[in-house]
Formats: sequence, C-alpha cells, structure tokens
Amino acid sequence: MSTCSVRRIIVTGALLSVVGLTGCAHYTEAEQALQQADELFNSIKDDSQVLASAPKDVLRAGESLQRAEQLSGYLGSTEDVQHFAYLSQQYAHIAQERSQIASYQQQIEQLRIQRERLQLALREARLMSVQQQGQWLEEQMISLATQDAERGLVLTLNDMLFDSGRADLKPAANRTVLKLVQFLQMNGQRTVRIEGYSDSDGDVQENLQLSKDRAQAVADTLVDLGVDVKRLQVMGYGDAFPIAENATERGRAQNRRVEIVFSDEVGRLAPERE
Amino acid sequence: MLVKQVFILSSAVLWLAGCATDPAPIEQLRITEQAIEQAQTMGADDFLQPAQIALQKAQEALAAEDYRAARLYAERAELDARLAEVQALSSMKRNKVAEITAQIQRLRLQLGESQ
Repeated sequence: MSTCSVRRIIVTGALLSVVGLTGCAHYTEAEQALQQADELFNSIKDDSQVLASAPKDVLRAGESLQRAEQLSGYLGSTEDVQHFAYLSQQYAHIAQERSQIASYQQQIEQLRIQRERLQLALREARLMSVQQQGQWLEEQMISLATQDAERGLVLTLNDMLFDSGRADLKPAANRTVLKLVQFLQMNGQRTVRIEGYSDSDGDVQENLQLSKDRAQAVADTLVDLGVDVKRLQVMGYGDAFPIAENATERGRAQNRRVEIVFSDEVGRLAPERE
Repeated sequence: MLVKQVFILSSAVLWLAGCATDPAPIEQLRITEQAIEQAQTMGADDFLQPAQIALQKAQEALAAEDYRAARLYAERAELDARLAEVQALSSMKRNKVAEITAQIQRLRLQLGESQ
C-alpha cells in the first residue's frame, strides 16, 4: 500500500494541478466523513460498557480513524480518507451493537429469574386453589408427622426450632407452623395437644417449666394465626419420655422438643401420657 | 501546450504503473466471503444487503482488474457483514427480552386471577 499510494498521491497531485483542481468538492466530502467518524468514535471511546463489551472493536475504530486523519493531510487522498472513516464507523457500530447485546443478555437473565419465581408462585397458588387443598395439606402433615402407637399422629418440632434455654420459636419454625395452621383450618373438627419436653440436664422443676413454656409458645403462635384456643391443649412433661440417650449432646438435643398430637377427624384425642 | 500534453500522458502512464502493483485482493475477498457466510449462519440475511452489494462491486472491480477498488470494496463488505452479524444477534436478544417480558405479564395476570 505505502509506496503505491504515495506514488499515486504524487501523481494525482500532479494530474490535478494540471487539469485544474476539480477535487474541491471531494475534499469537503472527505472532511465530512472524517468528522462523522470522529464524532462517533468520541461517543463510544469513553463509554465503559462499550469498552467492556468490545475492546478490540473500539481499538480498531480508533486505529482506522487515526489512519483517515493522517491521510487527510494529503491532496488526492479523498478516497482513502473516506474508506478509513467508513471502516472506523463500522467498527464503532459493531462495538455499540455488542454493548447492546451484553445489556440485553443481562436483562434476559434477570427476567428469567423473575419468570421462574412467578411460575413457582403460580403452581403453588393453583395447587392451593383447587379442592384438593385439604388433602394436599393432610399429605404434607402426614409426611412431616409420624404415627405413634399410643397417641396417633404426632408432629415433632425439634430443638433446632428453639434457642437453648429459651422458649421463643425461631423463624425457621414458620413453615411448619403455617402448614399446621392451614391443616387445622381445613380440618375444623380436629384438635391438638401440644406437649413440651426437655433434656435431663439441670433442675427438674425448671425443666418442667421450660418444656411447658415451649409448648405454650407454639400454642400462642397458632392462636395468633387464627386457631381457636379451645382446640389446643398445652402440656409440659419435663425430661419424661426421652426419645434418645441424655448421655450425649446429640441425644439431649433430640429430647428437647415439642410434640403436636393430633386428634382423630371428630376431635377425639388420645389420653394424656402418664 | 505540447509540453503539458506530454506531461499528462507521462503522468497517466505513471498512474497506470502505480496501480499495476496493487495485487488482486484474493485473500481479502476470501475473508469477506467467509464473514458473509458466517453472518448467514447466524441468521443475519435481513441485515446483509450492504455487504452483498459491496461484495458484488468488489467482484466487478476484480473482473475489470481494478484491484485497488476491489480491495476497498471487499474491506467494506467484510465489516458490513460483521456488523450484520451482531445486528442480527442484537435483534434476537431484543426479541427474547420482549418475549420473556410478555410471559411475565401473562403470569402476573394469571397469578392475580387465581388469588
């Protein structure tokens, strides 16, 4: 390119000077092309998103523009100036488009998350809105609860749902408790006995009180959520009826629990434990 | 006057000699055609008209042995094709945004009805 075009520039210059400088209109055109390319490049070169999405294209737009600027000093370079100005603009457009694509891609990812959330909510809402709601809940409750030989259906809220030595129900219990409330609302005849238990560490009387307070905390939550207090019995058994060895921390944690004993469909509860 | 004519003539000869050293832009044309093909596989047919017109001009210039013009047109056509490719991709992404947005609106509507 270099020797050839230099020679051509000289030749063209000579020719033009002889023929009479008809190139003025073209010169303006080249200037215009250069100016447009310059403006476009300036609009993208400091755009951080364009730079991040298409660094190479921005670089090439700049190089082509520089080339066009260098050539614009020479007489008879109109075509080359226009050419490099055009290339610079195309690179700049490509860079802009890539930046746009990146921005769309981000939007798509956010929208997908939103869509998934809504789909999930809709599935649950449909499930709850149909007649099977009661049955679904019953299945859920049964899957959470176990069948006890003496007492019937028993749901255990373990120590994880209470802080050590405290009776307040932790937020982690909300899901289970909410299901319990819904279940009781769908099964208006059923009643429950809420039984608190402790491990064998510490004072017997204190353990008895703590176990009762924990059972009461669960009952209070149910009442707060609209369950009739008459359908609830609250008992504290202290360290009686352990379900694991009190010799290990793991066993003691299992023993600190609240058990929900369900009545049958017509409200008959198993007798209290003795 | 005669001097001038001689000068013009000799300049024209020089000009032709200068151009003759511009090689046929075979490699550039190959790259350009490849760029157009790639854009086509990305579904950019709707955006490829400028590239195809420029390529045609390049081929015509090549046939006329105006290698310089052939190279310039081929270089333009290559970038036209690369732009077409990203335009097509951008358009696809824009449609995807619109599609998911519409789905979300429908889901919201359904969720509102079922509650």
